[in-house]
Amino acid sequence: MKKVLSLLLSLLMVLTLFTACSQPNNGGPSNQEPQTGGEEEPGTEEDVIKIGVFEPLTGMNGGGGQQELGGIQYANKMYPEVLGKKIELVVVDNKSDKGEATTAVTRLIEKDKVVAIIGSYGSAVSIAAGDIIKNAQIPAMGASCTNPMVTQGNPFYFRACFLDPFQGKVMATYAVEQGAKTAAVIMQNGDDYSVGLANFFIDAFKQLTGDPNSIVDVSEFQLNESDFNAILTNIKAKNPDVIFAPSAATTAPLIIKQARDLGIDALIMGGDTWENPALIDVAGEAAEGVVLSTFFDENDPVTNEAKKFVEGYKKELAGKEPIIPAVAALGYDAYILLRDAIERAGSTDGVAIRDALKATKDFEGVTGIINFTEEGDADKNLAVIKTIKDGQFVFVDSVEVQ
Amino acid sequence: MIDKINNKKTRLLLNILLIVIFATVIILLDTDVIGDAYIRRILNLSAIYAIVSVSMNLVNGFTGLFSLGQAGFMAIGAYSVAIFTVPLAERAKIFYITPQNPFLAQIELPFIVALLLGGFLAALVAIMIGVPVLRLKSDYLAIATLGFSEIIRIVFTNIKSITNGALGIKNIPTMPTMWVFFGIAIISIGFMRLLITSSYGRAFKAIREDEVAAEAMGINLFKHKVMSFSIGAFFAGIGGGLLATLFATVDPNQFYFPVTYNFLLIIVLGGMGSISGTIIASFLVTAGLEILRFFDEPLTLFGINIALFRPGLRMVIFSILLMLLVLFFRNGLMGQKELSWKLIFDWFSGKISRKRTGQGGGIQ
Repeated sequence: MKKVLSLLLSLLMVLTLFTACSQPNNGGPSNQEPQTGGEEEPGTEEDVIKIGVFEPLTGMNGGGGQQELGGIQYANKMYPEVLGKKIELVVVDNKSDKGEATTAVTRLIEKDKVVAIIGSYGSAVSIAAGDIIKNAQIPAMGASCTNPMVTQGNPFYFRACFLDPFQGKVMATYAVEQGAKTAAVIMQNGDDYSVGLANFFIDAFKQLTGDPNSIVDVSEFQLNESDFNAILTNIKAKNPDVIFAPSAATTAPLIIKQARDLGIDALIMGGDTWENPALIDVAGEAAEGVVLSTFFDENDPVTNEAKKFVEGYKKELAGKEPIIPAVAALGYDAYILLRDAIERAGSTDGVAIRDALKATKDFEGVTGIINFTEEGDADKNLAVIKTIKDGQFVFVDSVEVQ
Repeated sequence: MIDKINNKKTRLLLNILLIVIFATVIILLDTDVIGDAYIRRILNLSAIYAIVSVSMNLVNGFTGLFSLGQAGFMAIGAYSVAIFTVPLAERAKIFYITPQNPFLAQIELPFIVALLLGGFLAALVAIMIGVPVLRLKSDYLAIATLGFSEIIRIVFTNIKSITNGALGIKNIPTMPTMWVFFGIAIISIGFMRLLITSSYGRAFKAIREDEVAAEAMGINLFKHKVMSFSIGAFFAGIGGGLLATLFATVDPNQFYFPVTYNFLLIIVLGGMGSISGTIIASFLVTAGLEILRFFDEPLTLFGINIALFRPGLRMVIFSILLMLLVLFFRNGLMGQKELSWKLIFDWFSGKISRKRTGQGGGIQ
């Protein structure tokens, strides 16, 4: 038994190595495409165009990755074709792990010969994949990775979402508009999203109020911490007008609840991760009046595309999720942006698609009108502010920032 | 047939043949004649995992110290490479929230110097924590080293002017050839193999088998434990540094403690106390996870979409395979034996069929 098993295992290893080795030879003809450039010749190419999707489907960020994938797959259902060919999504799991992410992306490029890549939820894995994407000259479109370093210095990485600096500014602008003079900030130590967003809020708030002492308290908490009383008691003593606490949807309700229990009545604000039904479920009454910024509001579609999306995807989600997750909308946008670029490029060559993406002008997406900046970031100047009222997320305002 | 294998000349010939085949395969892969970047990446990753796993086996399998600090030592090596090899011009862009320490911002070292520095720093830290911690035994040592690796991660998260905190560092120069990874793996594992067969190595094994008896034979327990621990840390640091250049980016969450379990899995699977077993297991686990990606893809059989095939299934299959392996190979693939021509031929001719149960027992 032992012998059979180990022989079988080693056979498996050797076999896969061979199949993997022979793959590029089979896929050889597709390499002609980049040289011929523009016109596609029928017969030499397969009749599908492959777009790779790398998302964390298991592991730490599995939930978010699945939501984003949902949006991408729905987009694929709505727009299944480009250049007269069918688009096939090749989905790989990256487990939110850098090692897995880099091999997964290499696999998409080398084995599956994808023409473009969408992903990933979580900036760290996107940054790790960025180098491979740049060297292979395959355009990639991030959906919700907000860390500035994802696209920085990488001409092939684009993204459909706005950045942490922008979101920080939006929240600071809103707070100042509400008459806030002082603010306290709570962030999660070791979380790039939370730290990034909090720091940009601090900068923007100081600038807008013109008072370097307007941030009265900055506290950090650790992953999996569930008791925030020490931090909050400290904040209460300083009596700020607003508390900005960008954090994951699992910790946010604890912070909100404990703050209200302590009798803090300051305005509590968060980032896009807060738009999660779990927040209302866990925090209950305490969540009333909490303010957050997000990419998209299903009750106020800003474009025609958004109207179509909300109507259709609502039906798709019926019984599964009460609201459309913002990351699904971004996943949808990432897909249609890429599809549009491939259509305009008229070819599946990486550089041609990249140039077409760069030339994207006033593209009508679900999350607004999209242009790209020099770095490849979506240039949106509009963010949606929502609040929680009677156990529902309610649209408050859309804030424009220059 | 057995006589032939025992013949020194035949063995030498076989060894040379194996080395030539190995070198040819790597050269062919490296020059892009066979394979592609995907295969190269998996193999590079496996080679790095082999270094770290063997270094962990040196401490856990050969010296019998149940240490779980590998992730922390890897972090030190990785950050050393990250901090010192990123081109100076890129630094300001990366440290965009907290500027880099002005002293460090002027230093750029060649890769190999930064890598060795990382290894030595890891070894130094290992000696510093080893002196108090190595007085502990078994589970307590495991808890202390696990705690240490978390401390390292949290410290790296918080010294923002040096490590850029949670945002991590990117744009670490990558290596153009597989020989960097395989060459360093061969040198490192070769060194550890020499160490284990030396008198120090015999002392390590004596400590593993029975500390009291070893001490009675005149072995300085403390000295040897610290030595094994710090050498293990040195190579874990080297492995971490290589990982940094392979991924071109580091961040503290990459060295969260479950990473250590990955290596623990490899050494238990390969056999606590077997270098060749550890190397085989490193390649098997790393490549195995990629091979099993097949299960994550949707499968349509006879026009019916089988719902079971969905993302995540591969991890289920992987776990089942692990359970099977542990059930049938109770001491890991190799137990405490090393791979040799004699073993291979004996195995094929069915000479060692039921003897295995009597051997090994290296796992506590």
